[in-house]
Formats: sequence, C-alpha cells, structure tokens
Amino acid sequence: MSKVIEQPRYSCALGAEQTVVAIRRAVPVLHSGPGCCNKITSLIGQGEAYAGGSTIPCTNSNERDVVFGGVDKLRSVVKGALQVIDADLYVILTGCTASIVGDDIDSVAQEFRSAGKPVVCAETGGFKTNNYRSHETVVNAVIDQYVDAHRAEGGVQKGLVNVFATVPYQDPYWNGNLAELKRVLDGIGLKANILFGQESGGLPEWKNIPNAEFNIVASSWVGLGIAEHLKKKYGTPYLHFPYLPVGGLETSRFLRQVAEFGKLDKKRAEDFIGREERKFYSFLERMADFLLEFRYGLPRRFYTILDASYAVGFAKYLVNELGILPARQFVVDNTPEEFRDEVRGEFAHLSDRRSAPVEFETDGGVIQQKIREDENKTRALILGSGWDRDLAKDLNADLLILSVPVEYRLVLNCGYAGYNGGLRVIEDLYDRVLGTYR
Amino acid sequence: MAKKLKQIAIYGKGGIGKSTTTSNISAALSKMGYKVMQFGCDPKSDSTNTLRKGEYIPTVLDTLREKGSVKANEVIFEGFNGIYCVEAGGPAPGVGCAGRGIITAVQLFRQQKVFEDLDLDFIIYDVLGDVVCGGFAMPIREGIAEHVFTVSSSDFMSVYAANNLFKGIQKYSNSGGALLGGIIANSINHQYSKDIIDDFAAQTKTQVVEYVPRSVTVTQCELQGKTTIEGAPDSEQAKIYTRLAEKIAAHEVSHTPSPLSTTDLRQWASKWSKQILAAESRSIAGAC
Repeated sequence: MSKVIEQPRYSCALGAEQTVVAIRRAVPVLHSGPGCCNKITSLIGQGEAYAGGSTIPCTNSNERDVVFGGVDKLRSVVKGALQVIDADLYVILTGCTASIVGDDIDSVAQEFRSAGKPVVCAETGGFKTNNYRSHETVVNAVIDQYVDAHRAEGGVQKGLVNVFATVPYQDPYWNGNLAELKRVLDGIGLKANILFGQESGGLPEWKNIPNAEFNIVASSWVGLGIAEHLKKKYGTPYLHFPYLPVGGLETSRFLRQVAEFGKLDKKRAEDFIGREERKFYSFLERMADFLLEFRYGLPRRFYTILDASYAVGFAKYLVNELGILPARQFVVDNTPEEFRDEVRGEFAHLSDRRSAPVEFETDGGVIQQKIREDENKTRALILGSGWDRDLAKDLNADLLILSVPVEYRLVLNCGYAGYNGGLRVIEDLYDRVLGTYR
Repeated sequence: MAKKLKQIAIYGKGGIGKSTTTSNISAALSKMGYKVMQFGCDPKSDSTNTLRKGEYIPTVLDTLREKGSVKANEVIFEGFNGIYCVEAGGPAPGVGCAGRGIITAVQLFRQQKVFEDLDLDFIIYDVLGDVVCGGFAMPIREGIAEHVFTVSSSDFMSVYAANNLFKGIQKYSNSGGALLGGIIANSINHQYSKDIIDDFAAQTKTQVVEYVPRSVTVTQCELQGKTTIEGAPDSEQAKIYTRLAEKIAAHEVSHTPSPLSTTDLRQWASKWSKQILAAESRSIAGAC
C-alpha cells in the first residue's frame, strides 16, 4: 500500500533539470508533460537563470505522444532549441510519460551529436527516483556523452581536482557554498573545478574533468556515484569528506584531509589554514563582549530538518563552536540504506562529549508532529525550510531556512560552507534572534 | 423500446486464429439478420480484412495522428453484408504505447455515442489476447464488453494466454467488468487436443462453447479475402461457425473464471505433456 508523504523536501527525478540549469550556458530540454518544470522550479528553484524555470524547452507530451511515441516531437523541440537558444550544451531529460512509453531518446541525442551538435540525454522519469540520485545520473550522462568526446588536452594535471559537494538548487545555497569551497581549496594549492555556478569555468571546466589528479566528494552520499564512475572511467581516485564543512574547525579538518590525500605542500596548506582561522576567529573576538553578554539570549537547542550533508555539517558547527545542543535530528533526503550507518556514526560523535540520535524521515508532517510533541521548555532553533515557519511561530522558535522550499528568503551568493559560511551562520542566527526583540 | 446492444470481446494469443474466428462470427451473425460492428483492437490492424476482400482500412489512430481529431464516421467502413468494420490501429512496432492506443480509440467511440446512433445489435471487439498491459484489458473493464470469449488451441502458450486473460477478468469482475462466456477451442483435430482444452475449461470452471477444427477451406477463403461464411457458405466449416454464432447470440449469462496459478498451470501442462509423450511412445512402439 502506498503511503502519502506530506511536504517532502526534495523533488522527483526530473528535478535534475536544475543540475543542468546550474551549468553555465547549458540548457535542459524536457521531454515531459506540461507543468512538470514549473512544479519543480517552484519547489527547488529561485530565478530562471540562463534558460530555466518557465523558459525551459519542453515537448509538453500529450496523449498522441504516448500512443505513437514522442520521439518526433522531441526531435523538433531539440531542433527548435538549437535555433533559438544560444547555448553550449543541451541536455534532454525525460519525464514520467516518455520514460514509461520507452521513447528512444538516446538515438535522438545521438543523431544530433552525429551532426556535430552538443546534445546529450538522461532518463529522469519522475517515478524512477528522486533528484539527489538523478543529479548523479545527469552528471554522469554529461561526462559520458559530452565530456569524454571533448576531453581537454594535456592529460592529468597536478593539483587539478573536481569537487562534488552539493546538488544545485536542491541546496539553495549551492552557488555560495561551491564558491567558498573553491576559494579554500585553491588556497591550499589546488585548482578546483566546481562545475556549477558563477565561480565555475563553465563547460571548459567540464572538459577538464578527466584530467583531474583526484576528486573530492564533500557530501554525505550524493556525488559518490559520480566519483565512483570517474574512478572506473578514468582511474581518478577520490576523497570522501562525509558532510558539508561549516566553520573554523570543520573547514580546517576538511582542508587537512584534502592536503594529506593529495600529498600537497604541507607548509603552504597550513599557512593558508592558519590565516583563515585567524581571520575567522578575529571576527568572533571582536564581538566577544556582545557574544558573552548575549549568551543566554541564544536558543539552547536545535532541531534539524535537513539533508544528511547539511544536518551533520551544521550539527558539528553548532555543538562545537556555538555551544548549542542538539534536540531531535531529522534527516529528510531519503538517505539510501547503505549510507545511514555512517550518518548515524557522525551524529554519535558530534564532539568528544556530545552525541545525538538521528531519525531518517521524509514525511514533513510526521517530523513537525514529533517536534510539537517534544517538551519545548527552552528556546529552540529550527534548521529547516520555509514550510517550517508555522511550526517555528507556534513554538516561539527561531527558524533558519536552510532547505527547500526557501519561500521567505532571497538567495543570491549566500553560502554556509567553509570559514565565510560559518560566519554567515552566526550573523543569520543572531539576526533571527535579535529580530524578535522589541 | 430500444433494442439491447450486446458487446462481446474475443481474445486470443496472436496467430491463434482469433481474427478468423471473430470475422466468421460477425459474418454469421450478420447473415442471421443482426446489425454488427467488428472492432479490431490489435496494432496489426488486420482484424477485418476478410470482411473487406482483403483490404486494409484506415485506422482510428492513424487518422488521429494525421488529422489531429477523428469523427467516428471517418473510420467506420462497411464490409461483407453491411458489417461495420473499425480498426483501432496502433503505433509502429517498437515505439509508443499500443495499449494506450486501444484505450484512446475505444474512448473516442464511446464519447461520440456512435454505437447508439448506428442502432447496432452486436459489437465484437477482436483483441490481442496476451493482456500485457492495462490497455489490452480496456474492453473487459469499465463496462464496455459484457461477455468475453477466448479463442485457444490446445497449445500450451495459447492456454497460458487464456489463463492470463482469465486473471484479468477475475481482477475486474468485482468492479463491473466483463465476465467470461467461455472458450472457443480452435484447431481441434485430435481427441487429445479436445481432452486438453476440456480439462483446462474444467480446471478454470468455464465451458467450451465450440470446437473448431483446422480446415483448408478457411485458408482458401482467406486467400480470396473472404470469411468462410462468405466464401464457402455451404461448407462444413461454415456450419460450425454459424452454430458458434448462434450460441453466442443466445448466450446470456457469463461467469467469473478461476484461473490457475502459474505453478498450478505449469504442473497441469507438465501432466499433459507426459501423457502425450507416453501415448506417442506407445504408438511408435506399436508401429515397430
């Protein structure tokens, strides 16, 4: 018997359209029913970017395309997209109907590629899986069907790394997070391909993927499927750092692991880490008087309603650097079974003294109910989504919107990863708290 | 008072003689004075060929594809003795969804209330019988056909398809779906074939409506683009088809069958296979 899930915090497989939107000058071409795209972008999109949102070319499949197959229409939509949208890569993605009917999208993409057009395709029928998984599918499809044929010359380059850390738009702060990760990785002597967003080098960077010395997965589990694929395909080794590094301690830990894995110049790495830590803590020192005086005004405990990477990353930061204690922790990304023990392990060792049980739950309604039934005697911080605003209001809790749907925030370059992201967490947290004062 | 329209679906494994049987039933009913429509629900679109001198007719779905919309009278063609012939059609092999095509074609006819306007006595749906997906079950659900007959030989794969059909009928039987009238046993020229199909009918709690032997007369007529009823009206085979049509015309009450489970069906087939093998060994030994 199927179960109704209330307020899932992720999309269907077709949500990987946002992965394409996040690649500079890449355009998704949807072979799906009308409306799929709008539903997805209203959940996990803010801004149409180059050719996203309601401007995505789409076959708008109807009954005729089901009965006779929609390949001809897809061919004409791709042809049209090539004529009217100036882009460097076109990615055909199937919705449910085309995937059920079994339209041969590979042959369509192949036809265009044979004619010299940069067209690739991936099966993303909504029923197949969610957008975390299909993000990997789409990235691997671009690698196999585009990158492989256009590999940049020169072979493996010392210090070049690919970073797989967030799922664009599913992580509302993906652009800021990736930019910060690039900044700190470049700082210790690497050249980081972040592949998505304004700080990336666009498709020339993608063409360089096979030339990386190693890959970095800074995420609980999403991205491992890509790193494994690259390991098999190009023999590229990878480092897995199993959460988003937030703040001084974790970012330094992350960088040291990377430096060791990549056998980087230790002095250069430590010099950078030292500089960054001094800068990071100098801001806190400058505010020490206020922070100390205000320590009882802060929430005492935090609820987490986040995906695994954010959940672990924030929990470590809040516990170890801000002294806020964990209340109930909910991981909402439908973490595959094989990765759950590792996530449990991270929560079991948040610090030397603190651990927290974690619950894997995709039903937002169930989570909210459980939080409402908690004691709630002291001021709480909720790390959740826009959908948790009413809950926070009812509990007089402070809400930091870190997950989709964002709804009540505009996100430009904000990010919470790294040293700068850690500072931003403090700013935003105090902003929420101070905003409640009369 | 309006007469009651009788809607019948005839299923059978591809190649088992389902269209031949259906067309002969239609022809016989027509000669008995009934107004009949034969509705081919097979992407091959050749159900009604022998009613129209071997000619293919434009299908509902081809017309829909070309023109974007279809008026029912554009895809109804008169055949032998005024029988209305319709072919649902389907996508090219290997693309699209044939099952959805059948749903689309049947719904289109129902929406346009064609059946009422033509004052029909019988609609006979000739359906590819493997019931591989929901589309091929369309005529047995949603109150379209009332009675289902299956054409089956004693060949195991044909019986397997019939058993699958019975599963479909059983599934929809509680929600107003069609019920089973019985089995039309086709290509029955040996006693053991008759015994096999009789046993299958007994196991699944249904009946054999008629035994139709394999006949070269049928082939000769089909090569001329005719049904046996039209091409060889006085033949023994035509009499059998006429008798079958009379039984179907008189048929009133259908039942829910009791299909065998996959394991039971295999065991049942294995039992028959051993019996036939033993019988053949005896006859070979006798001949030596």
